Amino acid sequence: MSTTTSPRPAQKPAKRRTPAEDGRSGSRSAGRNPAVTIIVTAILAIVAIYFLVPVYWVIVNATKSTDALFGTNGFWFGGGFQLFENLGNVLTANGGIFPRWALNSLIYSGLGSALATYFAVAAGYALAKYDFRGKKLVYAMVLGGVLVPGTATALPLFFLFSSVGLTNSYWSVLIPSLVSPFGLFLSSIYANAAVPDEVLEAGRIDGVGEIALFHRIALPQLVPAIVTVLLFQFVGIWNNYFLPLVMLADEKLYPITLGLDNWRAQTDRLPEFYQLTVGGALLSVIPLAILILVLQRFWRGGLTEGSVKG
Amino acid sequence: MRSKTAPWILMAPFLVLFLGTVVVPIIMAVGYSFTTVERSGLLGEDGVKSVFAGFENYAAALSNANFIASIGRMILFGVVQVTVMIVAATVLALLLESASAKWPGFFRSTYFLPYGIPGVIATILWSFLYIPGLSPIVDTLGIIGIDVDFLAPGVVLWSIANIVTWTYTGYNMLIIIAQLKAIPGELYEAARIDGAGTFRVVKDIQLPLIRPALMLTIIFSIIGTLQLFAEPRLLQTMSAGITSEYTPNMSAYAYAFQYNEIGMAAAQAVIIAVSAFVLSAVALGISQWMEKRR
Amino acid sequence: MKPRLTRRSALVGTGAALTAALAACAPPNPGDVNAESTIPASDGPVTITYWAWLKDLQKVADVYNASQDRIRVETTWIPGGNSGGYAKILSAVSAGGGPDIAQVELRSVPEFALAGALVNLSRYGFDDKLSAFDPGAISQAKVGDNVWGVPQDTGPVATFYNREVLEGELGLKAPSTWDEFRETAGAVQEAGKTLITLDPSDGSHPVAWAMQSGAVWYKPEGDGWIVNMVDDASMRVAEFWDGILEDKLVGTGYGAMTTPWYAAAGDDKVLASISGSWSDALIETVPGGSGKWAVAPMPTWEDGYASGAHGGSSAAVLSTAKHPAEALEFLTWMCTDPAGIDAMIQYSGIGWSPAKDYIGKIRQQPSEFFSGQNYNEDVIVPMAAGQNLEWTWAPLMQRAMAMIGDGMTKAVSGEVPLVDMLPAVQKEIVEIMQGMGLNAEEAR
Repeated sequence: MSTTTSPRPAQKPAKRRTPAEDGRSGSRSAGRNPAVTIIVTAILAIVAIYFLVPVYWVIVNATKSTDALFGTNGFWFGGGFQLFENLGNVLTANGGIFPRWALNSLIYSGLGSALATYFAVAAGYALAKYDFRGKKLVYAMVLGGVLVPGTATALPLFFLFSSVGLTNSYWSVLIPSLVSPFGLFLSSIYANAAVPDEVLEAGRIDGVGEIALFHRIALPQLVPAIVTVLLFQFVGIWNNYFLPLVMLADEKLYPITLGLDNWRAQTDRLPEFYQLTVGGALLSVIPLAILILVLQRFWRGGLTEGSVKG
Repeated sequence: MRSKTAPWILMAPFLVLFLGTVVVPIIMAVGYSFTTVERSGLLGEDGVKSVFAGFENYAAALSNANFIASIGRMILFGVVQVTVMIVAATVLALLLESASAKWPGFFRSTYFLPYGIPGVIATILWSFLYIPGLSPIVDTLGIIGIDVDFLAPGVVLWSIANIVTWTYTGYNMLIIIAQLKAIPGELYEAARIDGAGTFRVVKDIQLPLIRPALMLTIIFSIIGTLQLFAEPRLLQTMSAGITSEYTPNMSAYAYAFQYNEIGMAAAQAVIIAVSAFVLSAVALGISQWMEKRR
Repeated sequence: MKPRLTRRSALVGTGAALTAALAACAPPNPGDVNAESTIPASDGPVTITYWAWLKDLQKVADVYNASQDRIRVETTWIPGGNSGGYAKILSAVSAGGGPDIAQVELRSVPEFALAGALVNLSRYGFDDKLSAFDPGAISQAKVGDNVWGVPQDTGPVATFYNREVLEGELGLKAPSTWDEFRETAGAVQEAGKTLITLDPSDGSHPVAWAMQSGAVWYKPEGDGWIVNMVDDASMRVAEFWDGILEDKLVGTGYGAMTTPWYAAAGDDKVLASISGSWSDALIETVPGGSGKWAVAPMPTWEDGYASGAHGGSSAAVLSTAKHPAEALEFLTWMCTDPAGIDAMIQYSGIGWSPAKDYIGKIRQQPSEFFSGQNYNEDVIVPMAAGQNLEWTWAPLMQRAMAMIGDGMTKAVSGEVPLVDMLPAVQKEIVEIMQGMGLNAEEAR
C-alpha cells in the first residue's frame, strides 16, 4: 500500500502512480507542438518575472547609497556600487545586532522544529499504533488545536508566561514553537501506513521495549514524514511574527523578522535606515532562497514520493 | 496494544506542551472575555477592579463598527484573494505538468521561492515597490501618465492581497502538482484512446481528481486570511488606509496592548477562533457533500 | 470499574490544576503603586534603566553618569511608540519587569497612567521642580492636579516653507492668518504646485489646529471628564478645513516628511509644512533645499493662541521602577539642566526644549539651511510661549486620534464633513470612556 505525505492532514492517499519518463504526469501529445511550447513557456516566463521582481529590486538597490536609492531608477544600478560597504554597515550596525538576529532565528527555528518534530512524531506514532482509552479524545482535541488560529492563543499565552516570569526570554518563543498539531496528524497518518504491525510484533517477541521499538524500528520508517514535518515547522517558526512580537521586548532576543521590522520602522525619522533595511532584507532573502531551492527536492520528496513498502 | 503506559509516555511531551500552550490559553481567553474593569478617579488611580461582565464584551465587539468592518474586509479579501490564488496555482500547475514548457524545474523553483520568504520580509520587499519616490513601478507608470498609489486607502487591501498571493501561490501550486502526479497514467491513456483533447483531459480527469487537495488548500487559506496581521501591520505606517483595527487580529492586538481592554481583546480573539472553526467546518461539509454527490 | 475511576480522578485533577492556573493569571490588574507608600531614595549607588526610541540616548546618559557617581543610567532603544514600543513597555510592565523610565509621547501619558503603568510624580515632590520647566510642556503631562511624566521635548507648531520658491518665484509670502493660508494655498495651486500636504489618517494635525484655536476637548472636573469637541473654537476649525478640503487646496495623498513628500519637496512641488518644531531636522534632509527654506509662525485666528502642540514626548517613571526617586532626579537634570538639554539636542536630536529658559546652545545661532535665519529664537520661542495651557490629554488619545484620522479621511473623500464628524466623535469618545469604567459626559 502506498500513501502520500502531503501537508494536508485529511488528504486522501493517492492510489498509485505511474511515473512518466520525465517525471511529469502529462507528457502527452501537446508537448510536441513547438508553437504551444513557445506560448506556454512565454506565459510561465512572464509569471516568473512577477515572482522575481521584488528579489531583483532588493539586489539592485542594496548596491546604492541612500541618495541614489531615491535618486536613480530602481530597476537598474546607478549612483556608484557600494554593496559591500552597505552590507558591512548591516552587519556592524547597533554593535552587530543583525548577526545576532540571524542566530536567534536559527535557534528558534532549528531547535524548535527539531524538538517539535520529535514530539509530534512520537505522539503521532503512538496514536497510530496503539489502542487505548482516550484516543478519540486526543484526536479531537488536537484537531481543534489545528483549527484555532495561533494568534488567538498568543494573547492569553502572554499573560500565562508573564505570571511565571517567562516573557521576554528565549523560552517564551521556543516553548510554543515546540507544538505541531499538524505534524502529529501527518505522522500518525504516515505511521499507520508505513510501520507494519508485524514488524513491531516481531520486535516485541525479541524483547525490545516499547520506547526502544519506536526509536529503533519506527523512526527509520518515518523519515519522509519527519523531513516534511521538520521543514514545515522550520518555515512556520521562521516566518512567525505575532508570537515574538507579543513576547519579546529585548532587541537582543529578536528573530530576524522582528529585527528587520524594527529597522524599517525607523526609516520614518531616520532615512539612513532605508539602506540598512534594504541590505538586511537582501541578506535574509539570499540564504533562504538558496535553502528553498536546495530543499525543494526534499520538499517534493515529502509531498509526492510518499510511497513506502508495506 | 501491549502496553497501557507506552502510548502515554510517547505522547507525554506533546500533550503537556499542547495543554500548556494551546488548551490552557484558550480556556483563559474564554475566561477573560467575560470580565471587564471598573475604575474610580480620573485615571483609575483611586482603584480598579475586575468584574464579571457576562456577554457584555461579546455584545460590544459585535456592535463595534470597526470590528465588524474588519471582518467584512477579510471576507471580501478572502473571497477575491483565495480565488485568484487557487486559480493561479491550478493553472500554473497544469501548465507545468502539461510538458509543453521548457525548463519546468526552473519555473517551479522560481514560483516556490517566495514561500521561504517570511511574510514580514515579503512585505518589506513589496513596500519598496509600493512607496512613491522609491518604487520604480510607480515611477515608470507615472512617466506614461498613469498615476497609481498602491498605498491609497481603497487600493491597499489589494496591495496586501498581492503580497499574500505572491508568497503562497507557488506553495499551493506544489501541492496541486503532487496531486497531479498521483493521477494514474492509465487514465491519460484511456482518454487519449477516446480521442480527448487537452481541455477535456483537464476538465474531466485532472480537475476532478485534484478537487480534494483544492478544497483543503482553500480551507487553510481561509484560516490564514482570518489571521492576517503581519502584512497590514507593517504597511500601516505607510498607508493612510490602514487603521489599528484593520483586520480582526490587529483589532484584538490593539485592544490588548494599546487600549487596555483585555476583556474586549479576549472576546474578539474568541470570535475569530470560532469563526475560523465554523468556516472550516462549513467548507469541509460542502466538500464532503460534493464528494458524496458525485 | 477501575479505569473509569482513574480517569475521573485524572479529570478532576486536571480541572483543579486549570482552575489554579486561571486564578494565577487573571487579567493583569494595574499595580496599586500610586496608593502604596513611596519608595525612599536609596543610600547606596543605583542603576537606572531607561527605554526610549531617541537615538544615541546612552551618550546623553553618559554625560550624566560622568557628572556624579551615585546614579548610573543605562538606556535601551525600543521602536517608536505605536510602531511597537508602547506594546513592549506595557507588556514588560504587566510582566513586572519593566525599566525605571520609558519614553511616552505626551499625548499618551494619561493612557499609560490609566493602564497603571506610571508613577504619579507629584507624590515624589516633583511639583517643586515644575517652575524649571516650560509651562507649555508641563501642562501636557498633567491630568487634574497630578503630573505623570517629565516632559522631554515638545513640538510647538510653526510654518516651514520653501522661501525661494514661495517668495522668489511665486511672489507670495508665508501666510500669517488662516484666511491668508487659504488664499496662498489657492495661489500656489494655480501655479501648479502644492502648499502643504496632509496624511488625512494622521489625527495629530486637526488636534493641533483645535488646540491653537482655543478648544479644550477633554476637561477633568472633579473625578470625571467633560468632553467638548463642538465648542466655537473647534467648529470654526472644522468649517475652515471643510472648505479647504472641498476646494482641494492642499494635497491629501501623503503626509509631510514622508518619502514621497521628500521627493516632491526636493522637486519644488510641495512648498511647506505646518508642523512641530522638530520638523526642522527632517526638512534639512530635503534634497537640494539648503539655503532655500525658512521658518514662519503658524497661521493664526484673530483670537485663540499663537500655536498648537504637535508631537513631543515625556520620560515617564514606570510603576515597576525600583528607584523612582533617583529616576526623577536624573530626569530633572536631563530636562532642565543646560548640559542635559544640549546633550539631548546634540546626540538625540530632540524637539523643542522642555526647560523654562534654555532652548539649547546650538539653537541660538542662525541656520544655514533655513536661509541664515535665527529661526529658533525668532520664531519657535514665541510659538512655544503661545500655547493653550488649558489643554489636557485624555486617556484614550490613540483611539481619539484614530477617529479624528478616520474623520479626516472621510472629509477628504467628501463623505462626512468635519462639522458633522466632531459631534459624532464626541459621542463615541464618551461611550468609550464610560466603557473603560471612567466617569465621563458630553458637554451641554
